[in-house]
Amino acid sequence: MDAYLARAEQVLAQGKRRKELRLPRPFKVSLAILTFLAFIAVFGPHLAPYGVNEMTDALLVPPSPGHWFGTDDIGRDIFTMVLYGARTSLLVGIVAALISMFIGTSLGAVAGYYGGKLDRFLNELINIFLMLPTFFLIIMVVAIFGSSMGKVTLVIGLTSWMGTAKIMNAQTKSLKERTFVKAGKVLGENDRAVLFRYIVPHGIFPVLANVSQSISSAILFEASLSFLGLGDPNVMSWGQIIYLGKAYMGRGWWVAAFGGLAIVITMFAFHLLAEGLNQILQPQAGGR
Amino acid sequence: MLKYLLKRLVIGLITILIAFTLTFFLTRVAPGNPIRVLAGKESPNPEQIAYLTEYYGLDQPHHIQFVSYVRGLLQGDFGRSIVNNRPVTEIIRERILPTLILSLTAMIISTLLGTFLGLFAGKRAGSRLDRILCNISYVIDAIPSFWLSMMFIIFFAVRLGWFPTGGMYSFRETYTGMARVGDLVHHMFLPVSVLVIIQIPYYFRVSRASVRSILNEDFIKTLRAGGVLENRIYHKYVLRNAIIPVITAFSLSLSFVLAGAAMIEIVFAWPGMGRVIIDAVTKRDYAVLSGIYLMLSISVTFFMILSDVIYALVDPRIHLS
Repeated sequence: MDAYLARAEQVLAQGKRRKELRLPRPFKVSLAILTFLAFIAVFGPHLAPYGVNEMTDALLVPPSPGHWFGTDDIGRDIFTMVLYGARTSLLVGIVAALISMFIGTSLGAVAGYYGGKLDRFLNELINIFLMLPTFFLIIMVVAIFGSSMGKVTLVIGLTSWMGTAKIMNAQTKSLKERTFVKAGKVLGENDRAVLFRYIVPHGIFPVLANVSQSISSAILFEASLSFLGLGDPNVMSWGQIIYLGKAYMGRGWWVAAFGGLAIVITMFAFHLLAEGLNQILQPQAGGR
Repeated sequence: MLKYLLKRLVIGLITILIAFTLTFFLTRVAPGNPIRVLAGKESPNPEQIAYLTEYYGLDQPHHIQFVSYVRGLLQGDFGRSIVNNRPVTEIIRERILPTLILSLTAMIISTLLGTFLGLFAGKRAGSRLDRILCNISYVIDAIPSFWLSMMFIIFFAVRLGWFPTGGMYSFRETYTGMARVGDLVHHMFLPVSVLVIIQIPYYFRVSRASVRSILNEDFIKTLRAGGVLENRIYHKYVLRNAIIPVITAFSLSLSFVLAGAAMIEIVFAWPGMGRVIIDAVTKRDYAVLSGIYLMLSISVTFFMILSDVIYALVDPRIHLS
C-alpha cells in the first residue's frame, strides 16, 4: 500500500493524467465477480426457482427453459442447488481463511517482534507444517471425527496458516526497525499496543493477497472433501453437486458440469483478487 | 553444507515424529470401536471381541501401545488393515506401481511442456502472447482436477467414445506384449492429460519468472553491450541459468508423486494409491488411513530434503546455511 500511495503522490506531483493511477484491471474484474457471487450467496435461496430438495416431475432433463441447468433423476433443479451452494462454499472459504489469517498473523507477528529463540522456533514449526501432507491430514480428521461444516472449516483453517505466518513474520521484522514504531515505544506504548496497533495494521496488506489465495484453496478443499463423500450431508455445496453428478456421468453431464463451473469462476475470482492486490503493492513490477 | 543437511534431517525426523504421534492419537481417540466393526453387528461374540482386542493390543494402556507402535514402525510395520487384516505395507506395495506409472509420466510431460512454454513466454514478457498464456494459466489454476477428470470422461469417453472411462487395462481382452502396452497407453491417455494440464502452470510460472529475472541481470546487459548476438546470449547464458529453478521445482514435486494424483485416480478408477485412500475412507479403516498418511509424510520429507541437496548441487553459487 505504501508503494501505491507513494506512486500516487509522485504521479499527482508531476501533474500526469490520473489514468496512471487506475486500480489494476485484475483487481477491478475480481471485485465485480465477487460482488456478484456475494449477492448470490446472500439472496440465492430467495432467487431460486425451486426448493433445494423439491422434487419436480422433470426427471434428469437437460438444461432447458424450465430448468436452466437441468435436473437430477429425482427431479431436483440443479440451478437451485448451485444458488444454494454459493453460500456454503463461500462461507467455508472465507471463515477458514480468516481462521488461518488470525493464527498466522498473531504467530508471525509475535515471533518476529520478539525475535531470537521464539522466532527460530516458529520458523521450524512452519517448515514442519509445510512438510506435513495437509490435504490427507484433513481427510483423516474428517473421516474420523465426522464431517459437519464447522469441523471441516476449522480443520482447513488450522492447517493452512503457514503462508500468512511467514509473510507477517518478515513484515514485522522490517517494520519493527522503522521510526514510527520506535517512536511509539519511546512514547511508552507497551509491547501489545506496539504490535497490534503499529505493526500489524501496517504489515497486513501483503497478508491480504495471501488470504485471498487461502480462500480459494479452502473452497477447493471443501469441494474435494465433498467429492470424496466426506462433506456435510445436510448442507448443499458445489462439491456436493459434483459428488451427486458422479452417478450421472453417462446420462447427465449437466449435473456435475455446473457445480464445477461455479467453483472455477469463484476460485478464479479470488486468484485475480490476489493478483490485483499484489499489483497495487508493487506497481513497478508492471503487468503480469 | 553438511551442517545444513544435518539440521534439515533433524527437522525432517521431527516432522515424521509429529505426523506419527498425530496419527497415533487421532486413531486412538476416534469414536467407535474398530473391533466391534470386525465382530459384526448381528450377534457379536464376546469371546471373539475379547480375543481380537487382545490380538490388536487394544487392551493395553495408550503409552504401551505407542511404544509398540514405534517399535513396529522401526521394523517397517505400518500397521494392519482393520477390515481385512492385511499389512498396510503390502496393500501399498501392490498399488504403488500403477501410481508411479501415472504420475511420473505426467510429471515428465508437464515439466517439459511447461518449461518450454515458460521459457517462450518469459523471453517475450509483456507481449500479447505472453499475456494470453498467463491468463490461461490462471484459469487452469482455478479448475479442480477431479472435476476436469469428470468432464474429460463425459466428453472424450462417454460422448465420443475415444477412450475407456476408467481402469488400467481392458477386462475382457487379455493382451500380451506390445498390445498390452498399447492398451495401457489407451487407458492412461485421459488421466495423464488431466494431470499434465493441471501441472503445466506450475512449471510455466517457475521457468517464466526465472528467464525474466535472468534477462534483467547485469551480466546479460554486459554481454549485450559487448555486442554478443542475442541468440547466443539466450542459448549459452540465459537458458543454462534459467533451467536451475525448474530442476528444483521438479525434484520438489517428486514429493507429491505418491499422493498428488489421488483425486484423479479416484475418478478414473485407476488401481493406485488414490483407490486405497478412498477405500479406507469409506470403510473407516483408520489403521490403513494413518499408515498411508505416515508413509506419505516420510516420502514428502525425504524428497524435500533431496530437492535441497539437488538445488545445491546444480547451482554452485548456492551455499546452504
